[in-house]
Amino acid sequence: MSTPTERTTGSTEVKHPDGKGIGLWLKLALVLLGIVLLALLPQVLSRYYIILMMPFFAYSIALLGLNLLFGYTGLISFGHALFIGVGAYSAAFLMRDGGLEYMEPLILLSVLGAVIVAVPVGLLAVRYIGIYFGLLTLAFGMLFYSFLLKFYSITSGDQGIRVEKPILLGFIDTTGIDYLTGPFYYYCLGLLVVMALVMWRIVKSPFGLTLRCVRDNSVKAESLGIGVYRYRFYAFLISAIYGGVAGVILAVSVGQVDPTMSYWTSSGNLVFMTLLGGFTSFLGPIVGAGAFILLQDQVMSLWEYWRLVFGAILALIVIFAPSGLMGLLTMGWKKVVR
Amino acid sequence: MLEIKDLDVFIQSSHILQDVSLSVGESELVCLVGRNGAGRTTILRSVLGFIRPDSGSIKYGGQELIGLAPYEIASLGIGYAPEGSAIFSDLTVEENIQISTWTRKTGRSGEERIETALEIFPVLRKYLRRKGDHMSGGERKMLSIARALALDPEFLVLDEPFEGLSPAIIPQVAEGVSAITKMGHSVLMAESNIAHVPEWAAKVFVIERGEIIFEGRPAEVYEHKEVLDVIGGSGNDERICTT
Repeated sequence: MSTPTERTTGSTEVKHPDGKGIGLWLKLALVLLGIVLLALLPQVLSRYYIILMMPFFAYSIALLGLNLLFGYTGLISFGHALFIGVGAYSAAFLMRDGGLEYMEPLILLSVLGAVIVAVPVGLLAVRYIGIYFGLLTLAFGMLFYSFLLKFYSITSGDQGIRVEKPILLGFIDTTGIDYLTGPFYYYCLGLLVVMALVMWRIVKSPFGLTLRCVRDNSVKAESLGIGVYRYRFYAFLISAIYGGVAGVILAVSVGQVDPTMSYWTSSGNLVFMTLLGGFTSFLGPIVGAGAFILLQDQVMSLWEYWRLVFGAILALIVIFAPSGLMGLLTMGWKKVVR
Repeated sequence: MLEIKDLDVFIQSSHILQDVSLSVGESELVCLVGRNGAGRTTILRSVLGFIRPDSGSIKYGGQELIGLAPYEIASLGIGYAPEGSAIFSDLTVEENIQISTWTRKTGRSGEERIETALEIFPVLRKYLRRKGDHMSGGERKMLSIARALALDPEFLVLDEPFEGLSPAIIPQVAEGVSAITKMGHSVLMAESNIAHVPEWAAKVFVIERGEIIFEGRPAEVYEHKEVLDVIGGSGNDERICTT
């Protein structure tokens, strides 16, 4: 879409009040720096921390999708781990029963599995908003969890299914732990960058702006010709796709899938990460995923009642920093600039 | 263009609209005047698909609107600028206007449609990159109408476009409404203040307790004291919209 501002305002071009022109380049530079730092991490960190980065990549991708639903469309899902579970189990089934050993078809087919589940769930759930939407998604998440737990002959119940290391890009077939700390790390980083870029395009496109209209005032959005249910449904499908991809990464990095992946506490963790990072910012959920994983690792090793600490943190965020860590960072940055 | 016939609306057990009939012709401005709670907004909401009437018909260009979803009605070419503006505060002024060009495709390009809207309300050019919540009440009203206009509608529904505006701003908005009508758009405008009804409006319908009690030219309203009594006009009010 062209920018009529430039054409219509001519020589008196209006600058954004917060000087977004400069801010955008700075943000881009920071993001590039972040990617370079992530690429250098395997050279400086111990294997323990590199492996800890795997769930970071997986959750970051899942949260990019979840935030399209939550931050941009205004729908909070309490059962989003359903799609992580579907993605992870699809990969496990495809490897165990289908003999598939290549990562790319594994991702594509697992995403297809997530979409197949998301279509009926989404068609029903997007007709509701607020707590009703949240509870419906929670219910479907728990249904899937019960299926995984009880249909032992298919899913192996609480024992789960072992997942082998798939071949990357058709030729990378490293064995042992080097697979995770080497090629798979960079594969996940690349996947995160690509999926973040795609999501950036989505949220900045007319479709993304339309979702924000739906979130702000669905009634008025309808009067502008926006089919609210349709747009919510599309957002739901996209978020499920991101969840599916995250599930495959988790399954491969853990080497095992089990029903807890789609348990309600996993969905709760996703919401926690989103709030921790800040759902009003594009990168907030990614920051939230990183902070959560690091915090969980540190606090768990210090105190067995780590959930108490997390509960207190969540309460503090909601009360004092509703825009999350990214909100605090932005506020701090603005103070420095002034 | 728009034909409402024998419309009845019940909300719970209350009979909100009773046998309401009115019509809006091509390129006409028709005003619907009534006190708060008289049923004005219910008529507009019925036309826009937000309320499903219990009986009667609403035909637009011969097509029945009852039963269609609001977004389907908008895509037929009916633009709506609601009372209170309801602009999207998280979006810039430019994005607020652009949204309408994406949701309904017509023969005209998005740029042309945005340019038309900005020609009607040139003051908005200054604020294109500004967020919607950084606008004054009058500017929000203009943005709301501009956004409806960018839908490239043949028919516009304006709900109290002058409500809450300072007397200094009202002429700017009134000029915009006048220009829209001159461009050939049909307009159905709801108002609570008879002084806000432009003299050049094709017709005025006065509604009271869900019933149309008067239909005629704007000047004729002032000849009916009983009607003026109902809508609170004294006949000596200063006419604000005379453009």
